[in-house]
Amino acid sequence: MESEDDMQDAYGGESDENFSNENEEEDEEISQNNEPDYGFDDYADDDINPSSRLPQSNYTILSEAEIRQRQDEAISTITNFLSVSNVESGILLRHFKWDVGKVNEEWFSDEDRVRRSVGLSSLRAENLRKPLGENLKCAICFEMYPVPTMKSSPGCGHYFCEACWRGYIHTAINDGPGCLTLRCADPACGSAIGEDMVLELVHEEDRQKYRRYLLRSYVEDNRKAKWCPAPGCEYAVELGFISGAGSYDVVCKCGHNFCWNCLEEAHRPVDCDTVARWILKNSAESENMNWILANSKPCPKCKRPIEKNQGCMHITCTPPCKFEFCWLCLGAWTDHGERTGGFYACNRYEAAKQEGVYDEADRRRDMAKNSLERYTHYYERWATNESSRAKAHLDLLQMQAVHIEKLSDKQCQPVSQLKFVTEAWLQIVECRRVLKWTYAYGYYLPDHEHAKRQFFEYLQGEAEAALERLHQCAEKDLQEFLDGDSWQNSFNDFRTKLAGLTSVTRTYFEKIVKALENGLQDVVQGQGTQVGQPSQLGQGSRRR
Amino acid sequence: MSESQASLLLRKQLKDLSRNPVDGFSAGLVDDSNVFEWNVTIIGPPDTLYEGGYFNAIMSFPNNYPNSPPSVRFTSEMWHPNVYPDGRVCISILHAPGDDPNGYELASERWSPVHTVETILLSIISMLSSPNDESPANIDAAKEWRETKEEFKRKVSRIVRRSQESM
Repeated sequence: MESEDDMQDAYGGESDENFSNENEEEDEEISQNNEPDYGFDDYADDDINPSSRLPQSNYTILSEAEIRQRQDEAISTITNFLSVSNVESGILLRHFKWDVGKVNEEWFSDEDRVRRSVGLSSLRAENLRKPLGENLKCAICFEMYPVPTMKSSPGCGHYFCEACWRGYIHTAINDGPGCLTLRCADPACGSAIGEDMVLELVHEEDRQKYRRYLLRSYVEDNRKAKWCPAPGCEYAVELGFISGAGSYDVVCKCGHNFCWNCLEEAHRPVDCDTVARWILKNSAESENMNWILANSKPCPKCKRPIEKNQGCMHITCTPPCKFEFCWLCLGAWTDHGERTGGFYACNRYEAAKQEGVYDEADRRRDMAKNSLERYTHYYERWATNESSRAKAHLDLLQMQAVHIEKLSDKQCQPVSQLKFVTEAWLQIVECRRVLKWTYAYGYYLPDHEHAKRQFFEYLQGEAEAALERLHQCAEKDLQEFLDGDSWQNSFNDFRTKLAGLTSVTRTYFEKIVKALENGLQDVVQGQGTQVGQPSQLGQGSRRR
Repeated sequence: MSESQASLLLRKQLKDLSRNPVDGFSAGLVDDSNVFEWNVTIIGPPDTLYEGGYFNAIMSFPNNYPNSPPSVRFTSEMWHPNVYPDGRVCISILHAPGDDPNGYELASERWSPVHTVETILLSIISMLSSPNDESPANIDAAKEWRETKEEFKRKVSRIVRRSQESM
């Protein structure tokens, strides 16, 4: 069958470089794309990264220390260009949201205007200072103090005593990040108070808070940076450039995989709007879904309840029943996959509906309206693929932490030769994620776009079938080598099979991601005969 | 600034104001044991609708005065676009700098520790002479002030008369 051929082609053509060179290649690409190279190598070498197969976006993960380093670099750049002090550079950069280019541009087009709007006087306090020895009344507490003990901002002559300054700055710091743009306490003045003065005057606790705000400002004010949204994660993400369109999937060093644009979890190839609608829909429908999506399903043959606690959709009921079925459509597993010449089709809502599969076993047709049923179909597949992805991610970690060593001992293979197992699991995790989001896509694909829907379901079906084969091989076949004493020869066969399946699955998913990202445009252009014969269309696009 | 510093500063201002009274208002404590609650009487400024009125108000100072502003509430009946129906005065210098995340008011118009009882009350007197109907606290009063000035005038002269009666 066609998939067998694919497997051979793909394996023969791509596998070598995939196994040995992939990481080096990525490294090179990245350092070419980014002129300033900040610790990207660590990131690319990270094996846990489940998106290692996505085309690399131009972004950098920054730790706190790296954020400080970026700030220092920006400040020293401005200090050199504008011949101002570091403190003044900081004030300018915070005002212009850490955009070095913008600071330069504005400064050299109208220095006076910039100085006025940020509160940097070109006068120096030394020249304004009253003669030494004279006493001055602090305009806040109305006490007299000798001038040398009083302070003013560097650019104005509004002297206040240290205690009043401390109280003023303390209040500002406790009011929030607005303290970074603090001005002189005289309301008519507006002269900026820089970090040197703040840090010199306040107590340690306030000093730490203020430093925290300084650090945060680089990420929170900067259009090109954001915090990783994972709970407790302290990394920030900085984009190298901002492009108008495209996908922004980002993998943080903490392992969280999210969309830079909408901060939801990564959802390539589906766009942010669809994701937002889908998530809103899920929260609105969740009450209805509670009873439908109970944690178990009855075995279609013996009716005993079964809880799904492993990754793939191939369920085998416990003896004596031993019925093998598909978790999603509850049909016999023998109807799935190419072995029977059959065709994996349980991703198709229409097919299932037309055959009347839902009429018999499922109560939900009786109890729910058609729209809910349709939603249920997609939601269930979305949710099941998510739990499958989560499980696969845990399996991957377990594989890396424990099983690879064990396998290496059992099969007398060096760990470096077992990379194909990790590769397979990385591919599974990523594909489960993509597959999950294709169900949100499918839900919002208009019914009247028959050609698109047909093509979409064809691509999804092929991808899903490939993934099920891969997942089963990685989960079940591998277990035999971990548990038992299969011989080395069969292990080599297993290697060929798993690596081949990984590669084939990758090809299918690349195809569907590409097709969905360009809105299934191919169908619109080629509308006509081809669409009626999806398998030919599939072949054609594969050879491209 | 600790509470004792706040009360020292308030006592100092009280002493100054009793020695050198300022035209347009008089000020004292609600209760001599509490320097954070002031009872003030604002005299309706000449050549305005409020001329001749004696309006009582209470100023409540926070413990961290002068780093945070006091609140001012008229106890006399008041009809003004910038005074809430319950008597609270809404002017920008009584707002802490952090209070206005939208940047609606300029930082220089908001609270600063250099403000005193005197500068606050002078601002309120100036508010009585020129209402700001851009961001009204009392929407009905603002609407009347803008659209049916005669009705507004009638209401104000009524509260002026009542303030004189209750003196």
